Amino acid sequence: MPSDLAVLRERLAARVGEENVTADGAPYAVDGMVPALVVRPGTQHEVSEVVAACAEARAALVPWGGGTAMAMGNPPRRLDVVVRLERLDRVVEFDPDNLCITVEAGMPLGRLQALVAERRERLPLDPPDADRVTLGGLVAANQSGPCRLLHGTARDWVLGLRVVLPDGTRIHCGGRVIKNVSGYDMNKLFIQSFGTLGIITEVTVKLLPMPVCRATVLGAFTGFAEAAAVLEEVQASFLLPEALELLDPAAADLLQPVLGLASRGTFTLVAGFSGSQSTVDRQVRDLEAMVASRAGHAKTFREAESDQAWTAITNVQGGGAPDPKRVVCQLAVPIARTASMLASARTRAAAQGLAATVTAHAGSGLVCAALLPGDDLTEAGALAGLAAVTEALREEAVGVGGSLVLLQAPPRFKARVEAWGKPGSSFATMRRIKAEFDPQDLCSPGRFLGGM
Amino acid sequence: MSNKVLVQELRRVVGEANVIDSDVHLQLYQYDAYLEERRPDAVVFVHSTEEVSRVLKLCHAHGVPSVPRGGGTNLSGGTIPFKGGVVLEMIRMNRLLEVDKGNLRARVQPGMFNLELGQALAPLGYQYLPDPASQKAATLGGNVAENSGGPHCFKYGVTTNHVAGMTVVLSDGEIVELGGMAPDTPGYDLTGVFVGSEGTFGVCTEVVVRIVRQAEGVKTMLAIYDSIEKGSETVSAIVAAGMVPATLEMMDQLVIHAVEKSLACGLPLDCATVLIIEVDGLKDDLEEQTEAIVRLCMEHGAREVRVAKDEAERALLWAGRRGAFGAVARITPSYLVCDGTVPRTTLPLVLKKVAEVGEKYDLKIPNVFHAGDGNLHPLILFDWRDAEQKARVMKAGMEILELCVQLGGTISGEHGVGLEKMDAMHLILSAEDIQAQLKVKRAFDPADLANPGKIFPAAQEVSHAQ
Repeated sequence: MPSDLAVLRERLAARVGEENVTADGAPYAVDGMVPALVVRPGTQHEVSEVVAACAEARAALVPWGGGTAMAMGNPPRRLDVVVRLERLDRVVEFDPDNLCITVEAGMPLGRLQALVAERRERLPLDPPDADRVTLGGLVAANQSGPCRLLHGTARDWVLGLRVVLPDGTRIHCGGRVIKNVSGYDMNKLFIQSFGTLGIITEVTVKLLPMPVCRATVLGAFTGFAEAAAVLEEVQASFLLPEALELLDPAAADLLQPVLGLASRGTFTLVAGFSGSQSTVDRQVRDLEAMVASRAGHAKTFREAESDQAWTAITNVQGGGAPDPKRVVCQLAVPIARTASMLASARTRAAAQGLAATVTAHAGSGLVCAALLPGDDLTEAGALAGLAAVTEALREEAVGVGGSLVLLQAPPRFKARVEAWGKPGSSFATMRRIKAEFDPQDLCSPGRFLGGM
Repeated sequence: MSNKVLVQELRRVVGEANVIDSDVHLQLYQYDAYLEERRPDAVVFVHSTEEVSRVLKLCHAHGVPSVPRGGGTNLSGGTIPFKGGVVLEMIRMNRLLEVDKGNLRARVQPGMFNLELGQALAPLGYQYLPDPASQKAATLGGNVAENSGGPHCFKYGVTTNHVAGMTVVLSDGEIVELGGMAPDTPGYDLTGVFVGSEGTFGVCTEVVVRIVRQAEGVKTMLAIYDSIEKGSETVSAIVAAGMVPATLEMMDQLVIHAVEKSLACGLPLDCATVLIIEVDGLKDDLEEQTEAIVRLCMEHGAREVRVAKDEAERALLWAGRRGAFGAVARITPSYLVCDGTVPRTTLPLVLKKVAEVGEKYDLKIPNVFHAGDGNLHPLILFDWRDAEQKARVMKAGMEILELCVQLGGTISGEHGVGLEKMDAMHLILSAEDIQAQLKVKRAFDPADLANPGKIFPAAQEVSHAQ
């Protein structure tokens, strides 16, 4: 440890306690880069003191919530300190009558859901790994799940944030009311800022009443065309599914133990419905009829079984646990291109002899492709093949106005394929924002778009 | 640069007929729906992104500020050219460029009226959800600049929840694409940051909006009460019962009187308040929802509940609400609209306190409010020719905003800060919060030429802030 970091360690220990600073950085390596120090502040004020001390020492830091998005992004340009937020897990205020809750950023999503469920409310955001992902991490990495179809993403539910800026200054954005145009919408700046503009320490979200009724309809098809046709039919109908997922045969087979599909190797469309008994019943009926009309096999789960099915489907791509044997990428395309993008990912992977599991938030324009080379990517050939598939998919997505982002990839792979793709015409403005907020380039340096 | 030279240069860029600078013409551009006035040096009619870029390059080269203007319906002074310079008249950029049903997006130019987009989508079976009450005269570009709300926000959110991308021109003339047709564009969410920036980041010249299928069914109700508290209690009871109506709107007696005088919608003149409730979605449970809501209204002391039987009756129930501001304008020379927002359950308390403010300053204050989302619009009536009265109005307005903040709310729900509420910003933001916002302003508009002199307290202008 360089001598100035030894000084920093003492300073941090003086602020957060010796037991909350460690030099054992290995478990918190980011893309193989091991931090010299790991610190666990216990309050928002302590976060601000830690960040100010790092700024003074010119130490580069990366915030760490549940660790579910740590495999995303470019490898950091520098990394001295990992700031863990697990001790910031308190409820600040729960106001069930106004459908609103404020929690500290380290609160895991699963725990928040359990808490508000006691008052028959919920936050309709459902990224994978709900028990690990923290509210701060969900916001910073803009994580979402199947029910973004009806309910949107963090930007639609976050009412307010408290943030520690890169120099240690504490600010707040928004508030706890649904409509708020008092100054700029600063919440939007920090949602999907990926730890590059400071550390989110507190999150206020609005909530929804718990639906009376839930159901999930699976439609299993032997052919891709039939699944895609039913998808289109649902989208053109009045039905209001909360989620609409398309699973390729590999994903459907992985889910076989939970979903109990009649046959293996099917393209499976999954729709989630919630609401009153009569609207859920009607939607189940309509979708079952659509599936049958295309020679598909329909299966319906209700209530607790429906919830179980969704937990499994949401996590089918393995969540955020880094795995050196996989490359997982997310393709974003205009909604109507989702199904064909899924098909294309399968075809391109197969052409390179790669196993793949491909799923899609089919009504939202997002395809998740896990590419499995079969060994640990030490073979130069395997790496080149994977890179070729990824680049081809990126080109295809960019060609229709979309993007490809790496959700998980070993550092060796990231050295060949950029994690976010090429920035667009707004990049100069983004860089000016970064320079205004973090002139010393200390917060997650290099991890974001364009090495920002 | 002298005005004359500026106008000559502008004419060279956009053509003789597209620049106006006569006194009479400029007078038409010195005000909006707020109470201040400031005359621009020139008004430029623009027709394309490239033309906006050329005009802004010229302005930038000469250090001339500019303000884009849509329908001029802004209630906080957002379109007033506070520091002079050029007003960009956006109204000719009013085309619907593309409706893409498969991708659930439409591409529109900013000068199109909000209602026009709705009318173009309806025959296709689609809709754009944000519908501010001023939708007949408010443009989509203005909606983007102000992050407009409207009477459907409790269920459907505000403008920012429905904008997927845009083309903007920065104050140095640079053309920048934000967001787009695909979701989750990598990088900072500049679309989200730009919406609601009140013209201070640049000029929006094209918008990609989310469209959705029209609801299969809709039911509209009007509940009539002898007390405002009972109306507010009903709203909380509906939400507590787990329902999410599309609309929960209230008007008090003074507004009802004004509405009846000008629109004759058949509202009872002797009631304290009316509550408009609308539920929409799949038709299967609309009857049962309507019955449950009617029951809740009656349980909470409604005198009568009317359920619209057809589209004509529904239109009549809405006409009163949509026409409320206009109707009030007919009974008073001027009014100041407050736009404070509070957590919904504190509405009865804040309304009582607003009435006390009215008594204290001897002013009439009718109320229209979005009860579902806690956004209230006290309308303080006065005569602009009476300077002493105007001073009292300003004090009363500020006191109402302070009330909202004390109850956990904020100073503006949907009308923006503009010139009106600059001095109220300190009620909700610390010096550090304001400095952070100014960092974003500098990143978009380092020269401070985009609608300068707005939003932030005068002492904290962009160039001085570090």
